[in-house]
Amino acid sequence: MSQRFVPPLDRSLTVPLVLFGVLLVAAAVLSPRLFTATGVGGAIIVAAPLILTTLALTPIVMAGRGSVDLSVGPLMGFVNVTLIGWLSASGYTSPLAVICWVVAVGALYQLLQALIIIYVRVAPIIVTLSSFLVLSGLNLMVMSRPGGVAPDWMMTWGAGTTILSPVLIIVLAAFALWAVMRRTTFYSHLRMTGADERMAYTSGVKVDTVRICAHLLGGVFVGLAALSYTALISSGDPTQGSSYTLQAVTALVLGGANLAGGRGGALGSTLGALNMFLISYLLSAFSFGSVTGFVTQMAFGLILVASLLVNVFMTARRPAF
Amino acid sequence: MTSLATEQTMSQTGRSVKLQRSIVIGFGLLAALLVLGTILVPGFISPRNARSILLLAAFLGLASLGQTLCAMVGALDLSIPYVIGGANILFPSLLVTGMPAWLAVIVVVLLGAAIGVANGFLSFRLQGQALIMSLGVGFAFVGAVQLYTSIGSDYGGTVFAPVPNWLRNFAAFNGKTFGLSLPPVVLVWLLITLATIWALYNTWFGRSIYAVGGSRTAAARLGISETKVWTSIHGISGAMSALTGVLLLGFSGGGFVGVGDPYLFTTVAAVVIGGTSLLGGAGGYGATVLGVLVLTVMTSLLVGLGLSFAAQQAIVGLLIVPMVAVYARTPHIRNQI
Repeated sequence: MSQRFVPPLDRSLTVPLVLFGVLLVAAAVLSPRLFTATGVGGAIIVAAPLILTTLALTPIVMAGRGSVDLSVGPLMGFVNVTLIGWLSASGYTSPLAVICWVVAVGALYQLLQALIIIYVRVAPIIVTLSSFLVLSGLNLMVMSRPGGVAPDWMMTWGAGTTILSPVLIIVLAAFALWAVMRRTTFYSHLRMTGADERMAYTSGVKVDTVRICAHLLGGVFVGLAALSYTALISSGDPTQGSSYTLQAVTALVLGGANLAGGRGGALGSTLGALNMFLISYLLSAFSFGSVTGFVTQMAFGLILVASLLVNVFMTARRPAF
Repeated sequence: MTSLATEQTMSQTGRSVKLQRSIVIGFGLLAALLVLGTILVPGFISPRNARSILLLAAFLGLASLGQTLCAMVGALDLSIPYVIGGANILFPSLLVTGMPAWLAVIVVVLLGAAIGVANGFLSFRLQGQALIMSLGVGFAFVGAVQLYTSIGSDYGGTVFAPVPNWLRNFAAFNGKTFGLSLPPVVLVWLLITLATIWALYNTWFGRSIYAVGGSRTAAARLGISETKVWTSIHGISGAMSALTGVLLLGFSGGGFVGVGDPYLFTTVAAVVIGGTSLLGGAGGYGATVLGVLVLTVMTSLLVGLGLSFAAQQAIVGLLIVPMVAVYARTPHIRNQI
């Protein structure tokens, strides 16, 4: 990447970067096992689904109208259960078929959502809320309990013993897609639409097209998230997807994105997701016994509250430029 | 209403016409669902089924009160399921320590209110991101309660304690009010509903909520403290969630932290189906009560038809968009400029 095109670091990245540094130091002190090849490999495979779902939320939230897509988690679950329960079960297990399936299902579903938001003109939060309910229900109808097996070629992915794993390639491919997208006019139109939709419309930006593209891009990321999630659990699970929604929204905010639109990016979202991963990793390094889950939940909550407050104070002291 | 009409601006009159329409549609839906139920499900119109619908509606209705008030100023309270779940295990664990039940109820409800106030206070400056703040506060609260209840016990998340008999009678299916076979919680919900609707239209506080939701600038000119309104409705939401959590213990008979989980999306769905705009300024608790009844009758109908929980969830989700599309479409962007 040539230096000229790298914009100065967004101020909204300060909090996630500082938090990331602190967490890395803490991990180095408390549990240096993370910095071995096995540690990094394991971290990549565990963190990848969250990184990719957070990336999926990013363009959709950037497009504005308060359109946090509450359905990303269940949609990832839907791609996962249909991949295992329909595609794999009918014998289509070639890598090409699987990759086409995950990307197509993710993108088509998001296209449908975008069309409803634009042409039926119902508030995005309501559309994605009903999506959440529909998909959570559908997932359980496709597969009533966790089960099934991933295609053979995927089975070794979940071990996560090397750094250069296929899951890392999926994540890098997503970053490459984002980097390409940043060079297009679509990206500047996306930021304009998110910052002020009416202004963008009056200056000739095709806001509907922008919104559709944002959802399509998000859908592709959801498909990749489902692929890495399937690799992680090596099977289908109709229930876990839902909790990814809340985690991804938390990671998005931790990464400094503004839920009102206009501000956000792949770097921030990735940092947010990595921070979420490091927090739960560190907490599991302590031995809290049976209450580890509760401590993690409380820590997520407190860190979320704290980073939101820090963001408020930073913007208050230094008003918008 | 007539004296109010003169105060309303053009746009607010437009909104109230929209609300009237949503209420007419809500009643129509309710009637249609009842007719469908009578035809399709034997025993749908029976005192037994009516009692179970009203009981389930009462829990959802109490949990949706705070959500409605929050939606009226353009906020969403995502801490509701966590406060319900937290209260549901905190209450029995307080009973185990020997605290009298009446005191435990007060402590839990006040704690819920305090969490809500903190939530409102912290999220006020954030506005657009307020819902995430409420999520964070909810996470922190439920984590802390689970830690507290699992200290010295081998299993977290579930609390075993004898539920007092009066609470069981208060909220269980076979509860009795003065010998009448209707659980008292339904009556309590009715009283709270009437009080809330009255207060929204006739008190300074109630009108302030509409004013802040309609136009922040205009509300500020009228001397209404936006902070105070924002913080107190979040406080009410926290208190009502905690109360729902306590009452649900009487219904289920055992503390379980996940009991609040379905309420995250059903409270929002009830508010939306009722016709209260999530952007603020219009709607009311009466509309939400209608939304709650539509949602509960629909669920009861789907259960009666033998559908699984997953299928019910999918159908309710499928119906939300067309229902909202009938009365809550946003204008096209070229008409917003």
